[in-house]
Amino acid sequence: MKIPISHKATKRNQRLFFLVMIVLFVPCLFYLNLSATQFAEGIARIPDIAKQFLQISLDDLPKLLTELLTSVIIAFLSVVISVIVALLLSFVIADTTAPNRHVAKVLRVIVVVIRTIPTTIWVLLAVASMGFGSMAGVLGLLFPTTSFLIKSFTAQIDEAGKDSVEAIRALGGTWWHVVCNGAIPTLYTTFLALIAFNFEMTVAETVILGMVGAGGIGVLLQEYISYYEFAPLLMGILVVFITLFLLEMMTNQIRKRLNSQAR
Amino acid sequence: MNRAEMLARQRKAKRLLSLLLFVAATLFSVWFIEFDIMEFLSGIPLFLNFLFVDFMPPNLDDLSKYLQPVLDTLAFGVVATVLSSVIALIIAFLMAHNTSPHPVVRVVLRSIISFIRNVPFLVWAAILVVLFGVGTMPGIFALILLGIGFLSRLYAESIEEIDKHAVEAVEATGATYLQKLRQAIIPQFMPGYISWTLFMFEITIRASAILGIVGAGGIGSQIKLTMDLFQYSSTATVVVIMIIMILVVEYVTQRIRERLL
Repeated sequence: MKIPISHKATKRNQRLFFLVMIVLFVPCLFYLNLSATQFAEGIARIPDIAKQFLQISLDDLPKLLTELLTSVIIAFLSVVISVIVALLLSFVIADTTAPNRHVAKVLRVIVVVIRTIPTTIWVLLAVASMGFGSMAGVLGLLFPTTSFLIKSFTAQIDEAGKDSVEAIRALGGTWWHVVCNGAIPTLYTTFLALIAFNFEMTVAETVILGMVGAGGIGVLLQEYISYYEFAPLLMGILVVFITLFLLEMMTNQIRKRLNSQAR
Repeated sequence: MNRAEMLARQRKAKRLLSLLLFVAATLFSVWFIEFDIMEFLSGIPLFLNFLFVDFMPPNLDDLSKYLQPVLDTLAFGVVATVLSSVIALIIAFLMAHNTSPHPVVRVVLRSIISFIRNVPFLVWAAILVVLFGVGTMPGIFALILLGIGFLSRLYAESIEEIDKHAVEAVEATGATYLQKLRQAIIPQFMPGYISWTLFMFEITIRASAILGIVGAGGIGSQIKLTMDLFQYSSTATVVVIMIIMILVVEYVTQRIRERLL
C-alpha cells in the first residue's frame, strides 16, 4: 500500500497556485495578441545584426571608459549625499530612537511613496527639471538611494541598537547621547556594509540612467542603438558587463561577510 | 611606548588615511563631472517646485484612457513571469550544484545567465526594439530575459540550499535522476519557487513601467509620452496610477505568500 507523506493542505494550495497561473496566462497571452509574422521577421533579422555586432572595434574604448568613470562618479556622489541625509533622518524615523512619533510616521509614509516610484522615473523627472547631464543624474538618484538607505538603516537601528539605546536612556542620556554614543558605534560596520551594497546597486542603475539622459555610459549606449552602430555597442555592452560582474562578485563577498558577522 | 599605544596610534592613522582618501575621491568626482554645488543646491528647490507646482493637481479628466496601458502592463507581467519561470526552472535544475547533470553544463549555463543578468535590462529592451520594431513584442522578450537572468540564479540558490539528507535517502533506495528530482528535491523546493515567482511578478510590474521609455509598450510609454508633450498634470496621474498598481500587486502577492507558505 502507498502511504502519502506530504501535507495535504499545502499540496492543495500549491496545485491551486499553478492552476491560477495557467488560467491567468492563457487569456493574457491572447490579450497581448503577439503577431507571428513580426516574430518571424525579427528572428530573420538576427543573423544580419549579429554580423554587425561581431565587427568589434576598440576605437571607442577610451571614450567608453571615461563615460564609465562618469557613471561610477554619479553613483558615488549620490550615495555620499544620500548617506548624509539618510543618517540624519533614519534616527528620527526608527522606533527606538524617534524623538516624535507623529513626525516619524509621516516621514515613514513619504519614504514608502518615494521607494515605490522606480528610479528611472525619478531620473526622468530630474532631467525634465534640470536639463540633461550628470547633475540631473545625481539629483534623480538621490531620492531612491536615500529612501533605500533610510529603510535599511532604520531596520538595523530597531533590531540591533535596542540594548545600548535603552542602557543610555536609563542613565539619563539625551537624544544626542543615544544617537552618537549608543547607536552609531554599535552599528558602524553594518552601516558600512549596507552603504557598500547600496553603492553597487546604484552603479548598476547609473549605467541604465544615461539612457534617459542623465549622463554616463548609458548616453553612449543609447546613441549607438539609435544610430544602429552595433560594433561599438558590443564593446560598450562588454565594458558594462565586466564592470557589473566584478561589482556583483564584490557584493557577494560583502554579503558573506555580513552573514558571518551576524552568526 | 608600549604595544597597546602603538596599536591605537596605527588604528588612528589608518582611519585618518581612509578619511583623506574619501575626501580626495569626493573632490576628484566633483571636479571630473563639473559638479557645481551651488547650482545643485539651488536646483533642489526648483525640482521640488517642479514636482509640486507643475505636476499638481493630477489631471483626472481622461482616466479611462489609462485603462488599456494598465491592463497591458498586468498582462505583460503575467505572461513574462510564467514563461520566464518555466525556462528558468529548467535552467536552474541544470545549473545547481546538486542537480546538475555535468559540471561543464553548469559552468556554461552559469556564465550565460550571468551575462544576461549583468547587461542592463534597458539595453536588452532597446536591442529587442531594433529587432522586432516598436510594440509589445520587444517588451515581453525583454521582461522574459530579465526574468530568466533573475530567477535562474535564485531558483538554483534555493535548490542548493535543500536538505541533503532527504536526497541521500531517496538515492539510497536506488532512485533514478528524475525520481530523485520528483520525490526529494521538488517538494522541498516548492516554497522557494512560489515565493521567488511571486517576487518576479512584482519586479515585472515595476520594470514594465520603465520599458515604455525605449518604446516597448506598457504604462511607461504613457509617462514618456505625456512628458514629451509637457502635459505634466497627466504625467502625475500616470505616476499615481503606477504607484497604486505597484502597491496593490505587492499587497496581493504578500497575501498569497502568507496563505501558501
